[in-house]
Amino acid sequence: MRTLVAAVAALAVLSTGVGLASAATTFRAAVGVDPDTLDPVQMTTTTVANMVDYVVETLTFIDQDGKIRPGLAESWSISADGKEYTLKLRKGVTFQDGTAFEAKAVKWNLDRLIDPNVRVPVRAPYPIEKTDVVDPSTVKVTLKRPSAPFVGALSWTTSGIVSPASADKDGNEYKNIVHPVGTGPYVFKERRKGESITVTKYDKYWGKKPFYDTVVFRIVPEAATRESLLLAGQVDLIVLPPVADLPALSRNPAVKVLLAPSDRTIFIALNTQKAPFNDARVRQALNYAVDKQAIMTNVLFGAAETMDAPMAPTLFGYCKQGAYEFNPAKAKQLLAEAGVRAGTKVSFIHPTGRYIQDREVAQAVAGFIREVGLDPQLQTMDWPSYIRTITTPLDKDNKTELHLLGWAPAFLDSSQQMLQFLSTYHPPAGLATNFYKDPKVDEQYLAADSESNADKRKEIYCQMSKKVWSDAPWIFLYVQRYPIVHSAKIRDVGSIPNEKFYAVYARPQ
Amino acid sequence: MRFARRYLAQRLVASVITLLGVSVIVFLMVRVLPGDPARVIAGLLATEEDVQRIRVELGLERPLLVQYGIFLGRFVRGDLGISARTSEPVLSELRPRLASTLQLALASAGIAALLGIAAGTLAATRPYSRFDYLLSLSTLFGVSMPVYWLGLMLIIVFAVQLNWLPAAGAETPASIVLPSLTLAAFSVALIARMTRASMLEALGQDYVRTARAKGLAETAVVVRHALKNALIPIVTVVGLQFGALLGGAVLTESVFGWPGMGLLLVDSIFSRDYAMVQGIVLVFSSLFILTNLVVDLLYAVIDPRIHYS
Repeated sequence: MRTLVAAVAALAVLSTGVGLASAATTFRAAVGVDPDTLDPVQMTTTTVANMVDYVVETLTFIDQDGKIRPGLAESWSISADGKEYTLKLRKGVTFQDGTAFEAKAVKWNLDRLIDPNVRVPVRAPYPIEKTDVVDPSTVKVTLKRPSAPFVGALSWTTSGIVSPASADKDGNEYKNIVHPVGTGPYVFKERRKGESITVTKYDKYWGKKPFYDTVVFRIVPEAATRESLLLAGQVDLIVLPPVADLPALSRNPAVKVLLAPSDRTIFIALNTQKAPFNDARVRQALNYAVDKQAIMTNVLFGAAETMDAPMAPTLFGYCKQGAYEFNPAKAKQLLAEAGVRAGTKVSFIHPTGRYIQDREVAQAVAGFIREVGLDPQLQTMDWPSYIRTITTPLDKDNKTELHLLGWAPAFLDSSQQMLQFLSTYHPPAGLATNFYKDPKVDEQYLAADSESNADKRKEIYCQMSKKVWSDAPWIFLYVQRYPIVHSAKIRDVGSIPNEKFYAVYARPQ
Repeated sequence: MRFARRYLAQRLVASVITLLGVSVIVFLMVRVLPGDPARVIAGLLATEEDVQRIRVELGLERPLLVQYGIFLGRFVRGDLGISARTSEPVLSELRPRLASTLQLALASAGIAALLGIAAGTLAATRPYSRFDYLLSLSTLFGVSMPVYWLGLMLIIVFAVQLNWLPAAGAETPASIVLPSLTLAAFSVALIARMTRASMLEALGQDYVRTARAKGLAETAVVVRHALKNALIPIVTVVGLQFGALLGGAVLTESVFGWPGMGLLLVDSIFSRDYAMVQGIVLVFSSLFILTNLVVDLLYAVIDPRIHYS
């Protein structure tokens, strides 16, 4: 009888998930995106790359201030013509499957990156011609053309280094890696689709060892549910809680809110080739018409900062331009000068659920535009339809006038942002959906891309920013912050300014 | 049940034709939606060159008839194609998600059927009593409450405040409690009302009066005689509800992060993952057809007077 009671009690204890104190420690995070792929070269979503980063490392790193640091490459030198990069690799590093990390492995990965038979959505920042092994710890990468941001691009997960020997094991294929094996502090253990990804500590990691033995990333699409998990103590860290709850969460002593700096700019793109938006005065008027501060306070609950340049402050080459202050009178005046009659209907489309409070922000902006005499026709649609609509080429009858969009470069370089103002990046070639066209800006873009002197490059971006700012192809709204909320019982949770949480070295208080 | 064999054969043929029809409809519908799957998968930062490569890889450049032919050819061999989003076979993505959805649907249907039939029967035996009015009120609540709201409320009370149950996911056996209760709310209400109505009718029949006159205990009268005869419409509702639960679990799955097929379907539509959408819709249709078949066969079990020609 007594054993029966004991057995029932044990079962009861197990079934409620209350375990006896164990030595193994687990860090639990909840994110909202179920990864489409864990293959580094196929990365398109930062949150997914964030998780892959625990397992796979890159040749260079971005630190929490957004600066480029040595990663798997200890040092590098660039040839005078800017096309050859000699990278000295870190010694004594082993892949998680026991194979040695050396030049051959790096060559294999970079060759795969440029292989047209492999799906690599963000291939453009890597104009690699070929990679050569100089010696077991040196590689030479030759580019097709000089690319000043290349070292920064090497910090992005697409160029993560996986073990070549792992490419045909555990369900992996050369074209598609489902079980990544890298050099990072954690080893990929298990993935339950739609549920969770589990990684365990790598004992032979070359760098500082993390505290937690296991990290579990839980996939929870609903923001309110993520918040509930955190408040119930069932996870330790979440990203992107419901924005309206940020004030309450900030006051809650059980959790800590981190409004992490990000590189994501949110703006209203204007079709600069369609009247009346082909007149710079109209575009400037719209910038004066919107009270960005009010939107930041009331719609975003402080999770953003007004844009004061065409790019986020976290990017290399950021050049502050000042602000278009809220001035509806000036807006009306400029519109009148440009001959825009009151009551003019303008098409204004926006996505819903794609960006934080996108619908609410669009409605707020529409309200401000209405105040200065225009009549915005708001419309929303699902994301694929939205992309299709805004990337319709001009000659295929693109009807957009105003549309809300966000832009978050994968790595923190202005070249990635200024693409938006490059005429060769107009749809269908790219996503410069404002169809802005300035030959001087185009020239400067190419010049900056091949300028190896950092200060000179910054100067070029400054000049470009000045022109773009005054030409106002966008209503420049704000730089979003990336809300991360974690248990107050955990410390050393940080972030990287390209919308990644950095909790590898988190530990209990 | 000799008759069943020919009946089953007929139903099987009808099912195959239905599925073919469904496959054509979903194939066309998903391609009519605006939006380019290749661009959606590749993301905003990809160049047109790489997007075009993906387009070719996915076979989107081929004529529609060819695409359908390839799809059908695979389907008859049990191959649902490759997911455009994950590059993995649709079937392998579907299997665990289907299992999760089935778990949730079965649990909810089970709860709904048990609670609903019990409550409805009880109410029918004391019509217009306090219990009956209470049931009416509760069922009104059940059919009116949005699943989304109810789910979040349950999470706040049982997970956040009381910390008795997990707020999300499918990790522990306890994880199914809140989602299945949330999902069952609507069905319980429906089944309870149907049971009450059906039972009231059954209890007014002559054979019930006869049974009582014979001196049978009230429980035996209600359960063995009245309920058995009232079951046909109840079973119909339960069957229909199960089908609805399979598809309607999307909101519950979303709120609770339950890794089911409904959520996968929505994600696949938003990603324009044609192969996945087709695969899921066909699986749902098959399940629905199967459920209807089981319900129809159950009729014969419940009421031996029913036979199939």
